Amino acid sequence: MFINIFGKRIRAALRNWSTLIWTWIFPIMMATLFYFAFSALDEADLLTVIPIGIVDNQEYGEDTAFRSALGSLSADGDDKLFEATIYPSAEDAGKALENQDIDGYITLENAAPNLTVSGSGLNQTIIKSFLDQYSQTKHAITSILAENPGAVSEISELFNRESFTKEISLTQNPPSQTINYFYALLAMVCMYGAFQGHESVSYLQANLSPLGARRTLSPAKRLPMVVYDLLASFVVHVLCLMMLVAYIVLVLGVDFGSNLWMVILTCGLGSLLGIAFGALISAVTKFKENIKVALIITITMICSYGAGLMVSGINYTIARTLPVLSWLNPAARIADSFYCLYYYDNLSKYFLNLGILAAMTFTMFTITAFFLRRQRYESI
Amino acid sequence: MIKVKNLVKRYGSLVALDHFNLEVRDGEIFGLLGPNGSGKTTAINCMLSLLKYDKGEISLFQEPMSPTNYESKRKIGIVPQNVAVFNELTVYENIDYFCGLYVPEKSKRRPLVEEAIEFAGLKEYRKFLPKKLSGGLIRRLNIACGIAHKPRLIFLDEPTVAVDPQSRNSILEGIKALNAGGATIVYTSHYMEEVEQLCSRIMIMDKGRQIATGTKEELTAMINTGEKLTVEIYSLPLRVLDQIRSLEDVIKAEYSDSHLSAECKTGGHAIIEVLDLLRQNNLKFGLIYSEPPTLNDVFLEITGKQLRD
Repeated sequence: MFINIFGKRIRAALRNWSTLIWTWIFPIMMATLFYFAFSALDEADLLTVIPIGIVDNQEYGEDTAFRSALGSLSADGDDKLFEATIYPSAEDAGKALENQDIDGYITLENAAPNLTVSGSGLNQTIIKSFLDQYSQTKHAITSILAENPGAVSEISELFNRESFTKEISLTQNPPSQTINYFYALLAMVCMYGAFQGHESVSYLQANLSPLGARRTLSPAKRLPMVVYDLLASFVVHVLCLMMLVAYIVLVLGVDFGSNLWMVILTCGLGSLLGIAFGALISAVTKFKENIKVALIITITMICSYGAGLMVSGINYTIARTLPVLSWLNPAARIADSFYCLYYYDNLSKYFLNLGILAAMTFTMFTITAFFLRRQRYESI
Repeated sequence: MIKVKNLVKRYGSLVALDHFNLEVRDGEIFGLLGPNGSGKTTAINCMLSLLKYDKGEISLFQEPMSPTNYESKRKIGIVPQNVAVFNELTVYENIDYFCGLYVPEKSKRRPLVEEAIEFAGLKEYRKFLPKKLSGGLIRRLNIACGIAHKPRLIFLDEPTVAVDPQSRNSILEGIKALNAGGATIVYTSHYMEEVEQLCSRIMIMDKGRQIATGTKEELTAMINTGEKLTVEIYSLPLRVLDQIRSLEDVIKAEYSDSHLSAECKTGGHAIIEVLDLLRQNNLKFGLIYSEPPTLNDVFLEITGKQLRD
């Protein structure tokens, strides 16, 4: 009987296009969309070359030190900071600024650089910092040489700025703003296992479907029937999830860390939770089929939102302001488990998440079993 | 085969089965006939232990029926009113699946499935998914799923609803063949023609109660109405119609659309009397035909309403 029920349920599930679209094709499309939409986010923090303008007046022509300093930062290479454009007059530079061709322009007047910008921002702050540093250094050199002309050889020390701090990573992998979207997406797909769980239960209960009535009237015992059925649902759903993970890792190149088996374990437990969730909705509520499906989608989307699927960082905000809600959100726990695997070398929080997911799954299956134990109905 | 005594089933304040009694004998095709909502399906679901009931006793195969009476369940086949098949499994897979719930061994099951496919005329469609089948073929698949394991007792709950006449005839022939093969059949329908054609004994139900039980002949003999006479006549004066109405063996007579219709008493000589009267009045008539009373007449006379109301 196992092969009959298990095998045919797998076949049926693999031929059910609506379920496959929700649990496989739709997530692949979303993952691809995330990839193209957010791939620039991680690079957004890197500095880009800042376009600046220089007014070509007499002082600029004579100030070789300034030209040298600016030239070193405008030279092609990895350290290039400025893209400097020479303008014959302040008016021309002003027009370029107005047209947003440059972020600011520098005019040398009275032996000091003056900066003109049209707004505030990171680039403007960087130009200002460069000019301040240049002015301070120039002033220091001029003062030293005026008082002690023999100290020329030690002036170079002024430019040797030694850093006394060291940059280290708090996490085992570099931080990424985009990776959480993929984790939340996987959490959503785990919860979409609910479709499989709902279908399994609805096909078993005589008061939920004609198929359920027909199966209830057969001499096959209910417990093996439901276990084999749910097992087949689980296998199909994990298969869909694994294909999605493979796509995200191998095709999109998203890193899930080195704990592959734990990723699979998380997917497995997440799927089981999704199936338990769908089984619970199907067994406990008395709504019509389409209302139940709508309920599953709505709850899944709310949970996925809380896990950070739509708004980056919302999961952290909820965890900080409403921690209980965050702990009770299965999608947030699943996404956080992936997060722990990627970032932390200590897995205690990961296992805590898994424990919570297991407890939720057990509770939902227990309640479902309580409702499924009925063998005669008041009405059909 | 089946014994039901004083079965009472309530849905809140609504009494769906009101002290319902039934006895089905081994080897017969027993028809449950009644309008929609008369309690036919509820009665079947109670007999199969799918529904709880408030009072009464039900035994199948001389044993009390319960949800865990797996031995009895093994001998029963069910064809529910609503099609109950997996939309994602092919015709063969569906029949094999349901047969597998009764016959776990694949080697024993395979010939049974093949036989059911043959029986239902689905040989050409064995690899088809249900959505590719016509309404009639889906109904046949629904039947094949219920009978593949060769049950001794088969419940067919309105199996011909929404089926074209050709498929209906094919289904009815199939049911006769199942019965000829030794199966006892309980057949529910609100189509009296089917029940008349198929069933050896019939119970007419209304409002959860049995109205009458017996063979078709026994049922029609229970009522006062005999044959129904129809005479094609170009014109019928009201005076003559009144004379016809006053005949001793005529219960009711109407004239419309050039047709005289008369309901006659059982065992009378109404046809001769009506035709004599028409001749005496020099009225020429065309076609004459008479029909025996139908189950609808039985239902109408007992309940005062049509079966299909």
